Amino acid sequence: MRRLLTIFGIISILGLISFTFPTTTTESTGSTDYTELQAAPNHQNTTVVPGSDAKRGIMQFLKYTGFANATPGHLIMLVVGLFFIFLAIRFDYEPLLLIPIGVGILIGNVPFLLDSGLKLGIYETGSVMNYLYFGVTAGIYPPLIFLGIGAMTDFSSLISNPRLMLLGAAAQVGIFATFIGALVLGFYPAEAGAIGIIGGADGPTAIFLSSKLANGINILPDGTTVQNLIGPIAIAAYSYMALVPVIQPPIMRLLTTKKERKIRMKPPRAVSKLEKILFPIIGLLFTAFISPSSLPLLGMLFFGNILKESGATKRLADTARNSLIDIVTILLGLTVGASTQADVFLTDQSILIFILGALSFMVATAGGVIFAKIMNVFLSDGNKVNPLIGAAGVSAVPDSARVVHLEGLKNDPNNHLLMHAMAPNVAGVIGSAVAAGILLSFLL
Amino acid sequence: MILNEISFDFSNISGFSLTVAIVGYLIVFGALVLLFFIYNLLPVFINFKVRRKLRKEGKCEDCDVSQIEGNVSAAISMALYLHLNEIHDEESDVITIKRVSKQYTPWSSKIYSTNPFLRSN
Repeated sequence: MRRLLTIFGIISILGLISFTFPTTTTESTGSTDYTELQAAPNHQNTTVVPGSDAKRGIMQFLKYTGFANATPGHLIMLVVGLFFIFLAIRFDYEPLLLIPIGVGILIGNVPFLLDSGLKLGIYETGSVMNYLYFGVTAGIYPPLIFLGIGAMTDFSSLISNPRLMLLGAAAQVGIFATFIGALVLGFYPAEAGAIGIIGGADGPTAIFLSSKLANGINILPDGTTVQNLIGPIAIAAYSYMALVPVIQPPIMRLLTTKKERKIRMKPPRAVSKLEKILFPIIGLLFTAFISPSSLPLLGMLFFGNILKESGATKRLADTARNSLIDIVTILLGLTVGASTQADVFLTDQSILIFILGALSFMVATAGGVIFAKIMNVFLSDGNKVNPLIGAAGVSAVPDSARVVHLEGLKNDPNNHLLMHAMAPNVAGVIGSAVAAGILLSFLL
Repeated sequence: MILNEISFDFSNISGFSLTVAIVGYLIVFGALVLLFFIYNLLPVFINFKVRRKLRKEGKCEDCDVSQIEGNVSAAISMALYLHLNEIHDEESDVITIKRVSKQYTPWSSKIYSTNPFLRSN
């Protein structure tokens, strides 16, 4: 109580001084404030009334507050950010992504006075957030994320049953279908390519491709500048990745019969260490030769996997799969969230991108499931695949595989599909990165 | 509001765009199909080398070295884990109950075993 009184007393004295000796303050600081305000573009109408500095200061302060600069767009985005945080905590939907993105949305949408030289906004050159955002726009973070993914992923289920790789390939149909859909809706080919990659359900790949194709910098053949769609595409990709448990099960149930969902698959064989070491080396060389544009992603993915499987670089593998990926996830999530600044993000294009993203994701899921059913036509009875695992062909690792596993358990409590579903899931990661490389080489 | 304004213009799909979509997808599919064939052949090559070595040593004439089922390897792994961490079923039969210094415990108290109510008959 005494402390509170002391603080209140000091504030009162300072207030009294400022009211009692207005001229002194005007002479010392008021004049510089006046020139600064004259220089600021938004404050040219500010008039100085002698003896009202305190009032003017308060008005000035109020002009800089978030309350004075808030727009309905800011409020909508703040609600979206809070909703992301709610989803992450309440329903456990990808909390490692949604909490940084949700907080990023809050940070990016706290209203402030634009063009006042405060260097606060993520799109203002020189701001801290702008520096961090450079990792997104320059495509630095996605390969580092892939390094971590490579170091934590066990490819043995794919090595033991390589035919499941075809499911990962089939699910990439969503990317190219959405590419066509985006063109029909009036996007330029480069933008359409960046939007299409949402169907790969791979956040880092979507960010990587959009930072190259739809970055607001490239000049199109007709002389216009491509739109900056990194924010909407990244948010759409990560949102749908988080919503895998909501989007995929209805499509899986719609396209399969109860009997098909109960199919039991042969347990995967044991994989030797040599095979595990050869897998990333062959994969790296082979995919890079087919699509060199995907090298930043696949190179890092397979590099991370070699660190893990070699057994000789345990420390590096530990860093890549723990500390490094955690740091990059924090920076990526936060900056992608902050890039949704209402005045840039809330556009007609963003809404279209969200619609296309959802369709893309559904088409990709359906593509995987249908292809699994087609595969079953040609496979013998003992070797049939459970078509549910086709849905894991989208590369939302490991959520998609987990959803398939849970869906399988609902139909047969003793049918564990997780290991089988991981194969198309990791094949989807490779497939979407190859697709990104191909789109890059066609459209850049 | 925005949904009413969406216009579908199929003339935007040029020959180039269709080529990107179709050829692009075929390349992705083809790349993964080729990887499938390579990884399918990989164990054959590895087995061939190991089998030849075993045959030379006369240890195994017709054994499939790579086809160990996951269940079997899980059982082997568990046995090794139990052995290496000395978590085993064969105990030394030495009973090691230590005598506690505190003799009294409510569990051994006689007063709790007596009935406070007298029987009427």
